[in-house]
Amino acid sequence: MKEIINWMAEPIRSFPTFAILFFLMLKHYKTVGTKKFAYISLAVFFPAICWFCADPNFIKIILWPDNIPINILIITITFFTWLTLYKCAENDNRIEAGQLPLEALPENREKVWSWPNLVYTELFMIIACTIFLIVWAIIFKAPLEEPANPTWAPNPAKAPWYFLGLQEMLVYFDPWMAGVVLPVIILVGLILIPYIDTNPKGNGYYTFAERKMAITGFMFGWLVLWIYLIIVGTFLRGPNWTFYGPFEFWDFHKVEPMYNVNLSEYFWIKIFNTPMPTSLILREIPGIIITVIYLLMIPPIIGATKFGKKIIEKSGQIRFYIFVMLVLGMTSLPIKMILRWLFDLKYIIALPEWELNL
Amino acid sequence: MSKKNEPGMAYNMSKLNKVFALLSIIFLMSTIWVFLDDYLRPWKLVQIEAMKIKKNKLTKDLKKEVGSIDEASVIKVENDIKEGQSLLEGRQDQLSKADQELRLTLKDIQDETIENGKLNAQISAIGFQQGQAWAHHHKEKSDRLYAKMTTKKNLFAISKNKLKALLVKKKAAKAHLLALNAEVLEGEKTLNELISTRELLKKALAKTKIDPLWTFRNLPFIDFLDPTLKIQQVVMKNITDDRYFQHVAKVDRCTTCHTLINQPGYETEPNPHRTHPRLDLMLGKDSPHPLKSIGCTSCHGGEGQRVHDFNSIAHTPENEKQKAEWIKKYNWHAPHKVPQIMYKKSMSEAGCVKCHSDVEWIPQATVLNEGRKNIEKFGCYGCHKIKGWEHKRKPGPSLLKISSKVSKKFFKSWVWSPKSFNRHAKMPSFFNQDNNKRPDFMNKNIAEVNAIAEFIWSKSKTYKPFMRYTGGNAKKGKELIGTVGCMGCHGVEGFTAQSKKIDAYAGPYLTGTGSKVNADWLVSWLKKPSHFQEDTIMPSFRLSDVEANNITAYLMSLKNRNFEKLSFEKSDKVARDQILLSYFSAFDTVNVAQAKLDKMDDRERVLELGHRSVGKYGCYSCHNIDGFEGRSPIGPELSKVGSKPLTQFGYSHEHDVEHSRDGWIQAHLLNPRRWDNGIDKPFKDLLRMPNFDMTAKEAKSITTALIGQVADYVPVAGLKRLSANEQITEDGMKVVTKFNCIGCHQIDGFRGDILAHFEDDLNEGPPRLVGQGHRIQTDWFYHFLGNVKPIRPSLSVRMPSFNLTNDEKNKIVAGFQAKSNEKVFEDVKTAVVWLPGEKVGAKKLFKSLDCVTCHSGGFNNDEATAPNLHKVSKRLRPSWVRKWLTEPQAILEGTVMPSFWEDGVSTDSEIFGGNAERQIAALTKYVLELGLK
Repeated sequence: MKEIINWMAEPIRSFPTFAILFFLMLKHYKTVGTKKFAYISLAVFFPAICWFCADPNFIKIILWPDNIPINILIITITFFTWLTLYKCAENDNRIEAGQLPLEALPENREKVWSWPNLVYTELFMIIACTIFLIVWAIIFKAPLEEPANPTWAPNPAKAPWYFLGLQEMLVYFDPWMAGVVLPVIILVGLILIPYIDTNPKGNGYYTFAERKMAITGFMFGWLVLWIYLIIVGTFLRGPNWTFYGPFEFWDFHKVEPMYNVNLSEYFWIKIFNTPMPTSLILREIPGIIITVIYLLMIPPIIGATKFGKKIIEKSGQIRFYIFVMLVLGMTSLPIKMILRWLFDLKYIIALPEWELNL
Repeated sequence: MSKKNEPGMAYNMSKLNKVFALLSIIFLMSTIWVFLDDYLRPWKLVQIEAMKIKKNKLTKDLKKEVGSIDEASVIKVENDIKEGQSLLEGRQDQLSKADQELRLTLKDIQDETIENGKLNAQISAIGFQQGQAWAHHHKEKSDRLYAKMTTKKNLFAISKNKLKALLVKKKAAKAHLLALNAEVLEGEKTLNELISTRELLKKALAKTKIDPLWTFRNLPFIDFLDPTLKIQQVVMKNITDDRYFQHVAKVDRCTTCHTLINQPGYETEPNPHRTHPRLDLMLGKDSPHPLKSIGCTSCHGGEGQRVHDFNSIAHTPENEKQKAEWIKKYNWHAPHKVPQIMYKKSMSEAGCVKCHSDVEWIPQATVLNEGRKNIEKFGCYGCHKIKGWEHKRKPGPSLLKISSKVSKKFFKSWVWSPKSFNRHAKMPSFFNQDNNKRPDFMNKNIAEVNAIAEFIWSKSKTYKPFMRYTGGNAKKGKELIGTVGCMGCHGVEGFTAQSKKIDAYAGPYLTGTGSKVNADWLVSWLKKPSHFQEDTIMPSFRLSDVEANNITAYLMSLKNRNFEKLSFEKSDKVARDQILLSYFSAFDTVNVAQAKLDKMDDRERVLELGHRSVGKYGCYSCHNIDGFEGRSPIGPELSKVGSKPLTQFGYSHEHDVEHSRDGWIQAHLLNPRRWDNGIDKPFKDLLRMPNFDMTAKEAKSITTALIGQVADYVPVAGLKRLSANEQITEDGMKVVTKFNCIGCHQIDGFRGDILAHFEDDLNEGPPRLVGQGHRIQTDWFYHFLGNVKPIRPSLSVRMPSFNLTNDEKNKIVAGFQAKSNEKVFEDVKTAVVWLPGEKVGAKKLFKSLDCVTCHSGGFNNDEATAPNLHKVSKRLRPSWVRKWLTEPQAILEGTVMPSFWEDGVSTDSEIFGGNAERQIAALTKYVLELGLK
């Protein structure tokens, strides 16, 4: 069983599994968003987790002080995701039945004083958080490690937990892309959301039915592309950034067969059996064409579909194209991951001469 | 959000207040927890425990001291004091008057000092003003100030004089007062002498008391002021820690828990309270390694700065038992992220190497020296470069003339399995090991050994023995081997027990010699080893032809019939060609390699493979082989192996090997091929380190010596640097080690392996050399090393003649001198100068002490049992002769030379009135004169 889980946990299998589970969850959000479902899940997963924890390798990685935040993160994210779906399901059922959403009921629209209702309770939270941090600091003491040695880096060398998603992206992208371009797109995209999304529905109340695409798109990026990568980077990447299953011993000597090939090499050498062109542009032309098609052709094509037309109608051309470009940026990650797993693809465009690898 | 709430309120206020109160209480508690967590440190309890132990000891000491004080005399003295006090009562008037006078005088002195000081300041100030005025040509002002200054100076002189007078008065007054108090003061002084130790102990004991003040000083929050429980540390100027970006002074806080480590008297306490077992050598104030400048982790390893728990320091358990104990007691776990963990207790001598890097043997480091002896024995330095071992000769015999020494068949079988010929062989086993036992590998190995033999034979020069074996008496030969001194370097079959005791290793264990060499070669070798090999360390024992033949007869009678029966398999040509192909195709394609091979004839192929194999197995690292001069040794350098990160040690699948440097090295020494277990490797990549079949004990000692080879930088001031004298000594001792003089001679207590053979009477063995540089004269010693002649007629063991170069002789002579801190020449007069009547006394003394009984040489024809006294003046230094006569046992414990002047008392009270010094001087002169005649 543990071996199956180890095997399943490898990104090549766990990523699609996770993605499928994500879509199933959203599809059946009314089932997931019930208290019954929550209790049943808890009843199933709690013993399972206990059984997991009986494994020395699993418990070791779980209780590693650096990883405690990720445990907390997993628990809170699971709970809040469920809570959202629960509230959405509740409201959507009401809306279907022709009632107002819960938040829109008159008694819930009543106004209260910010002091003490808000400020006082905020103080509580400040105190509670301070207590939590103090106790945490006492129990999981900051370790006293050896003096920093520039010639002897720790292995694995891990980024702070909140950057582990980015570090995991480095496996698939050039540092320029994973470290600079994609994070910038993420930040810019998050900043732009209020300007792109002009749909007033769902303001002030939970709903899924009315905002299907927005929620699906955001949650995919958040849960599947960000949280999932953090979890993999934290728990499943060991020495040499090699993948280790949750029950696997972190053997320093584990070797993974990895030999990555560029698209241009596939194209010229494998398919056409000719020497690589000396001209850089010509050499990388297949990747360039694909990228251009991906970035410049797909948006108009989507815009021409019924779905696209509807969005353009609602929010205008500029918003639509910005939105589509952001979505394409986001989906480039899973696309690249899948290409890597299936074809050992290194770079679509490999121009190390120009520090430009895609 | 129930409707019960007031308008504008989402919550009930009193409920909110309760939550607030609860949170505040929890917050307060967690804050207290922080402080407690910070306050409760494990080492505090340890210090309290140490205090209790100290208290117990002091209480005991005090009790003992109280017991040893003569109470009656204390009471007597106390009574004396009382009597004195009653006397004082009678002098009450005088006393108070004297006291009053002293006080008044003191007051006057104080008054006058003030006046004096004021005047002094004024004079200085006016002097400055006057100088200024004079320099600026304000003559009038200058004159005025000058006059003023002169007045003040006069006043100052008067005041000074007054002060002097007052001081005299004070002295007199004090003396008067003391005289009045004389009886009491005298009594108190006597009392103090009697009880001062007791009082000191009492004071020390008081310091170990836990009283309210002690508690207050150590309270939380208060303890930042002046706690008694605190972290103790030693900061070392001359030893640094490598912090990678810079070196910082080493800081050891070990004494925080090991509080009593440098205080004698706690040797039996449990750790951490135990005294260091060698305070005379380590940590003690007068030891060569005081705590203040050497600290703890400089030698022991570990993280000396850390005190927060038992594990953080990287304590290392000695064995599994201790490990289990520590896990139970201290929740011990293997240290991680520590570059240099603490050495195991039994290996702590490894720490010496870092600073004592210039010497072969480190005095008193018995474990380490044992390890180095074993490195020397197994010749590790032949294949592995080790810093400090570069000057050593190749550990194996030269193969330049091997074809004239042994048969090719013997050679092959020997190389294949040295241990089956001689289980004490130092030559390690390369073949039939864990990783090359497979039939196809064996087949290739056989081809290699055959090729090696052919190659070596093709390079070997011929040699013709200069003597013929003419037959001899094996029994007499055996006897001779046992007595003449062969066993200082060789173990010998037939002397199993003695060989084991002596554990000689410089030469091979002599067994099966008859199956190895031919008699003519052997007899020539025994007569003159340098005839066969010029640079051999085997000396000549100046054997007569009969003796040489007798020994040959015995050694030739030692046969290894089983080994003789072995025949070595013929080389498999296919296997041979396969190996050659793999060599040739290293940088070429298989076709090119094949073409290259095809061009070679059979003989060429064999020689090529032989040449390659000698290189592959590194035969040339230990043996001189023609054509391999100047090749670097085959093994990796071990100079810094003690700092090699653990992750760089290849454990392969050997998970039962301890995860530590010493664990790996030990496992490696015991079975170097184990790392290939379960790994699929081509023939050419198999591990090649041979198996020495060493014992676990030997492996451990070598490991200790090796893990001391660290990369740590020690500032020059922290290193043990040899003085000029010590350097000369070391150079000399290196030659002494090379020729294995220490196999026979014990030098200032070090080694003298063969003495184990003479346990019953050490005087029967080779002379122990104590202060040898002081004992003998330089030119005689130099001459002697080149022309050895027997000195002690009674000894059957012989000082052999070594084939020493002039440089080596000089080094030995200078080395011994420097070791004894002696000058090159002592003033040796050509003629002895006698005091009046001295010579007559000396003669009488010589007769009465009956020196001739033992030192008969040159006096009569009796068999001499002691050195010839006529040669003393040439050989010995006069000052040493005097010292020797005074107390022979002090120089050579157990010597048969009698002590005639034990404790400075002469046995002959008539001559010179029994004055020992004069007697010894006279006798020395007499003995010296014997040789001068």
